[in-house]
Amino acid sequence: MLVAKDSYMYEMIRTELIDAIGAEFVHTCDDDKLGHSIDYYWIPEMWHDRGMPTPKPDFIVHPGSAQEVAKIMKIANQYRIPVTPWGGGSGSQGGALPVYEGIILDTKRMNKLIKIDKDSLTVTCQTGIIARHLEWQCNKAGVSTMHLPASIACATIGGFLAHRGTGVLSTKYGKIEDMVMSLEVVTPTGEIIRTLPVPRHASGPDLTMLFLGSEGTLGVITEVTLKVHPMPEAREFRAYVFKDFHTAMSAGAELMRSRLQPCAMRLYDETETLTHVSKVFGKKLDQGAYLVFGFDGPKEIVELQMKYAREIMENKYHGEDYGSQGGMDWWKNKYKFFYPGFMFHIPQAFGTLDTVATFSDIENVYWAMKNVVQKNFPQARFIGHFSHWYEWGCMLYARFIFEGKDVPADPGEAAALYNRVWDMAIRAAIANGGVINEHHGVGLKLGRYVKDLYGSAMPVLEGIKKQLDPNNIMNPGKLGFKGF
Amino acid sequence: MMNIDKYTDAIRNCRFCFMCRHISPVANVTFAEADTPRVRAVMIYGATMHPEWWSNPDYIAMLYRSDLSRCCTRHCVNHFDENSLNIAARTDIVEMGYVPENIKAIRDELVAGADWQLSGKADVLYFADPYSTEAGTDRVFAEIMKKAGISFATVSGCGCIGRALKVLGFADDAKAAMTKFAGVINASGAKSVVVSNPAAYHALKVDAAEWGIEINADVMHTSEYFLSCGLNISKQAGKLYYIESDYLRNYNELTFPHELLAKLGAEEQHLGASCDFLDVPDQQESFTCGEGAVVLPRIDAALVEKLAKRVVEQVDDPENDRVVTASAYTKIALERYTSLKVETLEELVLKSL
Ligand SMILES: Cc1cc2nc3c(=O)[nH]c(=O)nc-3n(C[C@H](O)[C@H](O)[C@H](O)COP(=O)(O)OP(=O)(O)OC[C@H]3O[C@@H](n4cnc5c(N)ncnc54)[C@H](O)[C@@H]3O)c2cc1C
Repeated sequence: MLVAKDSYMYEMIRTELIDAIGAEFVHTCDDDKLGHSIDYYWIPEMWHDRGMPTPKPDFIVHPGSAQEVAKIMKIANQYRIPVTPWGGGSGSQGGALPVYEGIILDTKRMNKLIKIDKDSLTVTCQTGIIARHLEWQCNKAGVSTMHLPASIACATIGGFLAHRGTGVLSTKYGKIEDMVMSLEVVTPTGEIIRTLPVPRHASGPDLTMLFLGSEGTLGVITEVTLKVHPMPEAREFRAYVFKDFHTAMSAGAELMRSRLQPCAMRLYDETETLTHVSKVFGKKLDQGAYLVFGFDGPKEIVELQMKYAREIMENKYHGEDYGSQGGMDWWKNKYKFFYPGFMFHIPQAFGTLDTVATFSDIENVYWAMKNVVQKNFPQARFIGHFSHWYEWGCMLYARFIFEGKDVPADPGEAAALYNRVWDMAIRAAIANGGVINEHHGVGLKLGRYVKDLYGSAMPVLEGIKKQLDPNNIMNPGKLGFKGF
Repeated sequence: MMNIDKYTDAIRNCRFCFMCRHISPVANVTFAEADTPRVRAVMIYGATMHPEWWSNPDYIAMLYRSDLSRCCTRHCVNHFDENSLNIAARTDIVEMGYVPENIKAIRDELVAGADWQLSGKADVLYFADPYSTEAGTDRVFAEIMKKAGISFATVSGCGCIGRALKVLGFADDAKAAMTKFAGVINASGAKSVVVSNPAAYHALKVDAAEWGIEINADVMHTSEYFLSCGLNISKQAGKLYYIESDYLRNYNELTFPHELLAKLGAEEQHLGASCDFLDVPDQQESFTCGEGAVVLPRIDAALVEKLAKRVVEQVDDPENDRVVTASAYTKIALERYTSLKVETLEELVLKSL
């Protein structure tokens, strides 16, 4: 504990926090501390699994507005207490963990939809709203955010902004950073600022982009205006199985180069097709690589795009057509992949080696990672799928999995093994043109690679951090920044 | 062996799973991570390694704050039974002697107050439980039966027939309460017991069987009974929000309320608007204000108030929209804390006759 519970300073700080936001919203109970000590990062899950204590915050605050966040930041600066924003805790990189204790700033009470502007097709909301709740409310008004990530049930909009997250329809509607119009941010020193109201301008550098992906290290994002879209008249999917993943990748890349506009595309390598797709659908797909894609919009346009896409898949790459039913199976089950039983889970040790690269590099990245994992850790399994496709390349969602006795019982050894796999796989990816990563963020897990990634630009990033957060209280030790 | 050991699946799987977070009713109003199935499972798993956690008042309070709606279990593709895990943990807490005073006081009152009377003899026996009596549902039922020309007897009184005691963790007391109540029913000679209160329906239909207690009558929810007895219902209900009952839907997947609503001409709107494009509309979150926990207002009235206010946020026009519930408990909670216009299924039926 940063401030001993029996010290009068603890009571002084608690009293000030209560004065700022109300007693009901300042928690110091053990149950909430426990809840905020483990996010979706494997290491704290494993630590808890082994009966080890997980770092806990001293205070958990639930502000309801930017003004309340500002008050908390001023108190934290005065007493030099670290503040870690926490949305849904669904981040897989340990970004929301209170590794230096202090204050957890849980954003979920900031959950109001402020306005839907039907002329401009935008929605303005507070950022603690769970993505599913926002989508429900937008749907009720006849529009959609088109931001449908697998963690839609648990992650907040603020979490996605902080991690530059993405949803299943990213190929047409973009990642969250493509959806943002403007932001309201509370800086580490407690100033409330707004970025310019539109994302396309020539009025200097784009402050919106500075805060996107900043993972709670540069401030708390409290409000956002996002683009929304009309509900499409039709959304159709089609699936193909190709003889191998290379052929499927060629077909997928060609579809993107054709400049047809799929809303989503997924390609599963042979192993994942066999183990995962089959299991989730309850149908046996015992060989080849499964590729699924879809189009949405006015029915006629969807049909026309599908016609051209089928020509690529069938005539040029000879995919076995699983029809629209084969595609709809995937769309309907898109979240099922992430429930226990279909998703990896402790006692397994697993990690998602999320990497993005151009079409020229992506297969090399896949093989480099796969080879390095299989050569150095023959006991591990390696599977992968390609999730988010752009005109120029796509994201590799590769996973390594250790099972049973291959996962050390000793927590230190387990963590060391885990980190070794990451080190080797990530460095192999970077060496082959991969960028870590596409949408999961850096957090605690990947901080050690940020210097490699940014190179001589790192001091620029550090300078910005120092300017905005002179006392280094904002989520210290994350995103490769120095600890507290 | 502890009671929680029957639910190792839920302990193992829920503790690192976030997939029902959006429909965790208590967490949606307290915003606390602790009020999610994930963190309850994290705590229970931790307690298997650190037995001193069982006596931690914060952890105990967290478990007793759950609304036990079972909506997360229903939503889960594996239906991991986090709900029963929670009740099992409470039972373990009682058996270890760590039950808090306020919970024990509720138990004492429920046990001491149990007293049931029969109004007479008939083939149909209506159970006027305390919540249905408080909400006036028993009187509405009587009027319906009068209009339909069907005679019935009533069993009424106060106390608990087992469900409240069971969810509080007092397994033996719960069984004893049901044994006593079953004795009264069986002595009545009725062929069917008709129940308005969804919790009582579950107790008679499911709990009694689990305890090996025989009920010598057909147990029917009022919605099922109304559909079966040939009432001359007119289709006039119109647009309304129907709040799914925890016990009827999440625990028992009963479709009678919807069949009855269709017969009444109801145009159902969905609360919580689970209108995912191309997905089937389905109200996944519970809006019952704690029906599953039966006596939540006596544990944490402020929490029930918050749950009620969340329902107001879900409707389009709180002053004018109509809200219908199968649960007298929910009607009482909503009317106490909001200005929503709430009707029971029984009231809708009476209006349509
Ligand atoms: C089952 C599952 C499936 C997933 N699928 C996807 C997916 O499809 N796409 C995807 O992108 N991710 C996915 N993720 C990862 C995760 O959901 C995302 O990283 C998400 O962005 C995290 O949001 P959160 O609200 O849970 O944030 P948290 O985990 O609470 O926090 C993440 C980081 O953001 C910071 N932060 C949170 N809110 C704010 C704020 N308002 N202002 C400033 N900083 C803030 C925190 O300090 C932390 O550094 C998945 C996770 C799970 C558990």
